[in-house]
Amino acid sequence: MSVTTPSSSPPPPALSGLALAQPGAAGRPRLAFWRRLLLSDYFVLYLTVFLFVSAAIIFPRIGLAGTLGLPTNISNQFLNMWPLLAVALGQTFVLIIGGIDLSQGSVMAITSVIGAMVMSTTLDPAMFDKSPVWGSILTAEGGLLRASPELAVPLGVLAMLLVGAGIGFLNGFAITKFRIAPFMVTLVTMTFFSAFALWLTQSRNISGLPEEFLRLGTGDIISVYLGPKLEAQIARRDILPAIAYPTVIALGLALLAQVLLKNTVFGRQMFAIGTNRRAAQISGVPADRVVILVYMFSGFCAAVSSILYSARLGIGQPSLGNNLMLDIIGAAVIGGTSLFGGKGSIKGTLFGVAFFVLLLNMLNAARLSPFIIDAVKGGVILLAAFLDVARARLTSREQHA
Amino acid sequence: MKRRAAGLLVTLALASGLMFGIVRAQESITICFGFQDLETEFWVAGHKAITETLREQGIEVLEYNANEDPNRQLEQINECIAQGVDGIIIIPQDGDSAVTIVNAAQSADIPIAVFNRPPNDRSAGIIVVADNVSATEQAVEFMAQKALVKWEVTQEPIQPLILVGALQDTNAIGRRDGFFNVINRYSERFPGAFATPIEVATEWDAATALANLEAAITANPGVDFIFTSSDFLFPTIRSVLEPRGMWVPAGQPGHVIMGGLDGDATACSLIEQGFVDATGVQDLFLEAELTMNRLLQAIEAGETQPNEVLLDPGFALTAASIQFERSRMWGCVLFDEGFLDQ
Repeated sequence: MSVTTPSSSPPPPALSGLALAQPGAAGRPRLAFWRRLLLSDYFVLYLTVFLFVSAAIIFPRIGLAGTLGLPTNISNQFLNMWPLLAVALGQTFVLIIGGIDLSQGSVMAITSVIGAMVMSTTLDPAMFDKSPVWGSILTAEGGLLRASPELAVPLGVLAMLLVGAGIGFLNGFAITKFRIAPFMVTLVTMTFFSAFALWLTQSRNISGLPEEFLRLGTGDIISVYLGPKLEAQIARRDILPAIAYPTVIALGLALLAQVLLKNTVFGRQMFAIGTNRRAAQISGVPADRVVILVYMFSGFCAAVSSILYSARLGIGQPSLGNNLMLDIIGAAVIGGTSLFGGKGSIKGTLFGVAFFVLLLNMLNAARLSPFIIDAVKGGVILLAAFLDVARARLTSREQHA
Repeated sequence: MKRRAAGLLVTLALASGLMFGIVRAQESITICFGFQDLETEFWVAGHKAITETLREQGIEVLEYNANEDPNRQLEQINECIAQGVDGIIIIPQDGDSAVTIVNAAQSADIPIAVFNRPPNDRSAGIIVVADNVSATEQAVEFMAQKALVKWEVTQEPIQPLILVGALQDTNAIGRRDGFFNVINRYSERFPGAFATPIEVATEWDAATALANLEAAITANPGVDFIFTSSDFLFPTIRSVLEPRGMWVPAGQPGHVIMGGLDGDATACSLIEQGFVDATGVQDLFLEAELTMNRLLQAIEAGETQPNEVLLDPGFALTAASIQFERSRMWGCVLFDEGFLDQ
């Protein structure tokens, strides 16, 4: 099996006039610098550090000595990163094989609802008496495992993960067996499971989740206090989570993804499929099986993210993830994962998520209008997609040269 | 390479400078204002009333739009807390997430006020809320009396329909309750006057409302009494009724008795034209004033966890009262300022 087969697909038809992509430019030192920078695996990390440092130098108020440098702010930004990272890891896998998973948001919604339906300890009959599962799964005393509180959290979490992976299996199965475009399949599952989550709950949030579950979203494992000890008692707001449950969960998932991608045959098969599916199949790669497993992993990651978001907000939310797809795909693409398949890395996605979160933090700290912030966010994602095209074209030209 | 890297650093730094604009001078009080979105006239007007009034007082306002995502709103409020703001005002996405957000602010000893959309647990935070049940009852009472006159003439049962909001929002629940309180009361007093009401889910979304209302009216073309839980859906109702010849002003045959709640500029205009009979009005200006005054009072007094519910009783603006009470209705004020022409 060859995993370094040059792409047989034509290069993306864009940026033909860009100096970066001009033939013969390789010999010119200035262009060589830009090329090396653009193609570097650490490009986004450089950009992230650069953005942070430049803001710190030019705008002291939002820089290291100002808002951005506050320990509470840094701690917040890390906590904001983890759920997005979890779901973006799954999308990275799907993009690497040349697919796309638009259903991740709805997987988050349905798993959030199902987990809450299993774990909830109390429900208001006036809110839920119109739910189709009222009286059977849901009662005033709580959810399905109301009688076994010690099992509620582990089984609730397990149910969320299984449902996420199960929906991923449906996606992968439909894509490989019926040869329907991933875009269409995942669009349908997105619509279906979003509607299903709303129908199950009659569009109401499910509260009353157990404390053990809430800790997964907000609990600290190691806390720190940075500052002089002036009073006998330290205020809760000054104690920062150095290592929190979401940190461990998301980084654990990232480690698993890294091992799968870099240290297994499965990972190499993914790149082969993303680079050229037909060539991969001819080389003996079990493409259908790999595609199904990748979509299952994507659903699994969405479920992990759902656990983190639901636990943080303390509710099972049927609209969870509704507006998140742009952020998820944006973070993966900013991290260097190619929309054309065959390229991507876990560290790139980690950097992409960090860049995305930091950019938003800086724009907010700069006190710009929320409408401008949204426009800048959209522009950055567009720029990332543009760079993806530039990098793909540049790589293709170098391979041909 | 190093020189080029330094050049790149400077260029990008300057670009960043342009992007972030000029840093304004530090002001004495900073208030974080997080809103869920500005999709309707009511929220636009509320946002304007709060931000303009605060800025006129020299208070710096940090604005955050959560784009209807409660998780994002929580992240944004945590960001405000990290920045050490003096106070927080939120318009939450729903009553459940509001509880978590209020707890986050109060745990950090920052006073927080919730504008118009109350948390399910009203024991924490400054909560400024309209009495949705009362305002709805006043509007539906007027509509029911008109319906009764029609029923006495035709002896045909009136077919009511309610466009229900997203029911995780306590405002939506209050409005639905107010509607049913009146209809049930009239049904008991006048047996046969009202058929069982049809409920149409909207999720506070115009597209969802349009699809569901189309289906409901197609299945029940005899609907002659429509209450919308928010005035922003009147254009949607019109787009469904007009092609069917059901968009008729009062006094003409085929008029559908219609009412809503909010008191926006569209409702004001439609009441004047006779298409809408009544709307329950939330006193937006009063609510904005109550929110800001109580929060600023808490900041000045050093209160970190003020807990109080401030109620806006609301009132009904009807075809009969619009001449006398239009200046009290925020929508009429906007309408008079040419809001609908913008």
